[in-house]
Amino acid sequence: METLVSVFADTLLITLVLALAAFGLAIIYGLIGVINMGHGAMLTLGAYFTWWSTRHGLPFAPSVLASAFTVGAVGLGFEHLIVRHFYNRPFDTLLLTWAFFLVATEMIKILFGTDFRNVTPPLDGAIDLGIYRIPAYKTLVGALSILLILGTAFVLFRTPLGVKIRAMVQNREVASLLGLNVARMYKLVFAFGAFTAGLAGGLIAPMYSVDPYMGNTFLVRSFFVVIVGGVGQLLAGTLFGSFAIGGLETVLALFSDQVIAQIAVFFIAVVILRFRPQGVFTGR
Amino acid sequence: MTMEVKPGRDMAVASRSRMALIRGEDLAAIVVFALLAVIPFVVSGYAVYILPQYMLLGVLAMSLAILWGYAGIVSFGQAAFFAIGAYALGLIMKYATLPVNVAYVGILAGMIGAALIAMIIGYFLFSAGVRSAYFVVATLALSIIVEQTVKSFSTITGGWNGLYVDRMTLTLGPFLEMSLFDDVPMYFTVLAVVIVAYLSVMTVMRSSFGKILVGVRENEDRMLALGFNVPAYKTLAFGLSGLLAGLAGALYATHASFAHPSNAGVLFSTQVVIWTAIGGRRSLLGAFAGAIIVASLSNALSAIKAIQNYWPLIQGLIFIAVIVLFREGLAGLIETIFRKRHHGRAT
Amino acid sequence: MTTLRIPSMPRLTRRAALAGLAATAIGAPALIRSAKAADPIRIGVLSPVTGAWTVYGQAHSRGFELAVGEINAAGGVLGRPIEMILADYQTDQRLVVEQANRLLRQEKVDLLAGTFSSADRNAAGPVVKAADKILLYPTWYEGQIKDYYPGVCNPNIFMFGPEPTQQVWPFMEHMVNTYGKKFYMIGSDYAWPRVTNLFTKEKLKELGGEVVAEVYIPFNTPQYESVLRDIREKKPNIIFHSLTGSDTVNFSQQFHAAGMSKDFTFWTVDDEEVVTSGLGPDVSAGHFVSFDYFMTISHPNNKAFLERYKARFGPDALMNTVGVGMYNAAHMGALAIAKAGKVDTASIRDALKELTFDKAPQGPVKMRGLDNQIVVPSYLMKVRDGWTSVNDMFEEVKSVPSVEPKDARCDLPL
Repeated sequence: METLVSVFADTLLITLVLALAAFGLAIIYGLIGVINMGHGAMLTLGAYFTWWSTRHGLPFAPSVLASAFTVGAVGLGFEHLIVRHFYNRPFDTLLLTWAFFLVATEMIKILFGTDFRNVTPPLDGAIDLGIYRIPAYKTLVGALSILLILGTAFVLFRTPLGVKIRAMVQNREVASLLGLNVARMYKLVFAFGAFTAGLAGGLIAPMYSVDPYMGNTFLVRSFFVVIVGGVGQLLAGTLFGSFAIGGLETVLALFSDQVIAQIAVFFIAVVILRFRPQGVFTGR
Repeated sequence: MTMEVKPGRDMAVASRSRMALIRGEDLAAIVVFALLAVIPFVVSGYAVYILPQYMLLGVLAMSLAILWGYAGIVSFGQAAFFAIGAYALGLIMKYATLPVNVAYVGILAGMIGAALIAMIIGYFLFSAGVRSAYFVVATLALSIIVEQTVKSFSTITGGWNGLYVDRMTLTLGPFLEMSLFDDVPMYFTVLAVVIVAYLSVMTVMRSSFGKILVGVRENEDRMLALGFNVPAYKTLAFGLSGLLAGLAGALYATHASFAHPSNAGVLFSTQVVIWTAIGGRRSLLGAFAGAIIVASLSNALSAIKAIQNYWPLIQGLIFIAVIVLFREGLAGLIETIFRKRHHGRAT
Repeated sequence: MTTLRIPSMPRLTRRAALAGLAATAIGAPALIRSAKAADPIRIGVLSPVTGAWTVYGQAHSRGFELAVGEINAAGGVLGRPIEMILADYQTDQRLVVEQANRLLRQEKVDLLAGTFSSADRNAAGPVVKAADKILLYPTWYEGQIKDYYPGVCNPNIFMFGPEPTQQVWPFMEHMVNTYGKKFYMIGSDYAWPRVTNLFTKEKLKELGGEVVAEVYIPFNTPQYESVLRDIREKKPNIIFHSLTGSDTVNFSQQFHAAGMSKDFTFWTVDDEEVVTSGLGPDVSAGHFVSFDYFMTISHPNNKAFLERYKARFGPDALMNTVGVGMYNAAHMGALAIAKAGKVDTASIRDALKELTFDKAPQGPVKMRGLDNQIVVPSYLMKVRDGWTSVNDMFEEVKSVPSVEPKDARCDLPL
């Protein structure tokens, strides 16, 4: 019984943390079709800005928010200067965002040094559920993850702004003919995607080693989350994709060793990519 | 903007222009290979040792140019095939006792193994019409899978500690048995192989096969409508690129005397993309030269203490500049200069 | 530059004066003379200055740098200064091959020092074998076994870091008797953790203990839920941990966040100053760590060493077992050259064997002739509660002044 509860709780938390980490990519890739290879770097930037802020006396929550806005600003700047000229060339945006990763990682090393950094979790200890203890902070992050995803979905499906964005995603030309400022929408979405990635980076920083390459662990996983879940399916797709990738790895690790579990997950993801390239959830 | 159609004359001009370009590229190739052939007589020591490694990296870059420059498919997984070649040679040389030259068998096994795996994956993905964007992510996964697999079977491959590979011996029946332990014999052997590889691939890419790939790159739907089996061509291109990358990896392993899982990794795969971008993805020679130039530059600059920490940053910025401003890389730059000259004289 | 005006004197006296001057010049400190006449002894240092393990690169190269400074200030070796040529291999094994060759063939160094991980050292193995040059290797590692020649069991490669029996065996009895017999082993998936666990199991069996699990994790694994669950089920006494890099930090953080720190004893053979800094005081408090050197050990040599180190690199500069390995390698290399009287591989090799270095920061060390492995002290430390910097990070639990390693599994003597 204990195993079942713990497996359930673990899987749930893994899913939500991965969903949070992948969400920025789901937004950028899903809504404006940019294969953001710099997504991992945005996570890392969020973590480092958070570390730097907390080190200079700012409490955790404002630090995370400040980092998220900073990463959003960085993303916006990058979009304005470079990316917006290449929206119709997906390979070039792919390469440019990879270049963003290269440059951002080096800047992190130069600005923040190369030592391992750590951020103290604002919540210590574990919540005792009787048969099982779950880490308190991780639970909080999981909750915030759901809030973020639901909140974004709400904006997207229940507000006028959301209607405009969805219209633009569906048919860019028609949307602009209808008078929507497409360029500004793209900026907004890109910046929001970066903001979310920075937010995720800041939130997960207390749980992981803060080093210049930390975001990359999530890069390929995030891609698979988005592809498996369905590109453009921000709500159901992201959650399901995270469950598939994160949960699958956990379950497989029960029966074999971690290495095989990891290989198997990537393998299966590629297979899914082949048989259902549009992802599990489609439509709309 | 309308263009007056004068089919005969325009096509002749275009065709002459293309022939000039091709002749130009051939000339450049002759110059490059002649230079490489002369170097061991002019300098000695380190350059003679390290250039074969860079030439093989150039071949690896060529393998990406086939996919990216001609077929328009980006791959972040070329290192996977490089490593397959390296480990095939290393393992066969270590474990197999054969009546023929084990190294030859190893190299062939590496090339064919890499090509086969490439074609299987290629067919699996292309036959479903997997969009090139997704294909990129699949190649990333491939790099990770190969690296992980090599690391895991550590009792055979040595895992993270790496695999030692002896310098191979060149044999030609009963007539020749020359160890490639010394720098000069190894240099010329690699150069010879590289030239043969270049000529072979160049011939293939100038044939109708290459033209069809370019057609696929320019307008895939039109090629499909015209009745071409596009997935098959893409698969073949991927197989050819795997073959080439496997060759590069196998020879690299015996040259460096060491193979390591990182040879398969994402960081190395992406380095190949950078080389090919800077050298010029549409030009086999450009990609080849790009790899040699960037690798040499990286080697030289990392020795300067003031720049050491900043070289990866500079490389990233150059990469951005290349994508934004110099899409066709160095080769394109040179081509533009020649074109301007050519047009300046023609009319 | 001052010109010396010799006043008019009888010829004989002037000549005598000049001869006297010449005699004084010959007797002058070697450094002054060597600045003009003697060319330096060049040592190539391979360090991960950039790349994935850049965190370790700084202490690594600085340890060597400090030693070279000290050697040159004392007049150099054989009247020649030592010149350190640093090559960054960017934590890429392919570049180890490239840079090692550059140092030997282009910079024409007399010997090599450095590389960090076993993979890096192995990549350099064939290079130093072919060139017949010496490599001084500083890092703690898995010991030598014939199958991995020429990266180990190589007469030209000298190991200045401890191997598992030196790191672990001296403290097994204490840990088992104090904290319990059941070991849960978790390590990264490669040779060093596996061999370390192998030797630890051997000793554990002698003491009547048992291994309840032996888990290997691939690099860059962020999530450890399943492992934590497994630990809770198996109920070990001691978590014996040999993860590396960021995985160490990820695992320890999640372990702590799950509230498991108080329930188990944590013994690691990987978390020296760099990694423990990354963990932070909350997560690392109470961890047991064992190495041949720590910044906070109380050996008199260490106090003087750290003073000199901080004078040069700053009061917050970090030093660890690898940096000290490089420091010792430099000094012992110099001592060997001085003893040999010349700078060629065979002579230096012979001179290094059975060489002792009493000024090593951790206490006197000795290089074995049998298998090129260093004999070092071993320290078991505990991470102090609420530490604030590397200067108060560890407290000593137990120490052994000199630990002979297990004989290398090569064809001995090397």
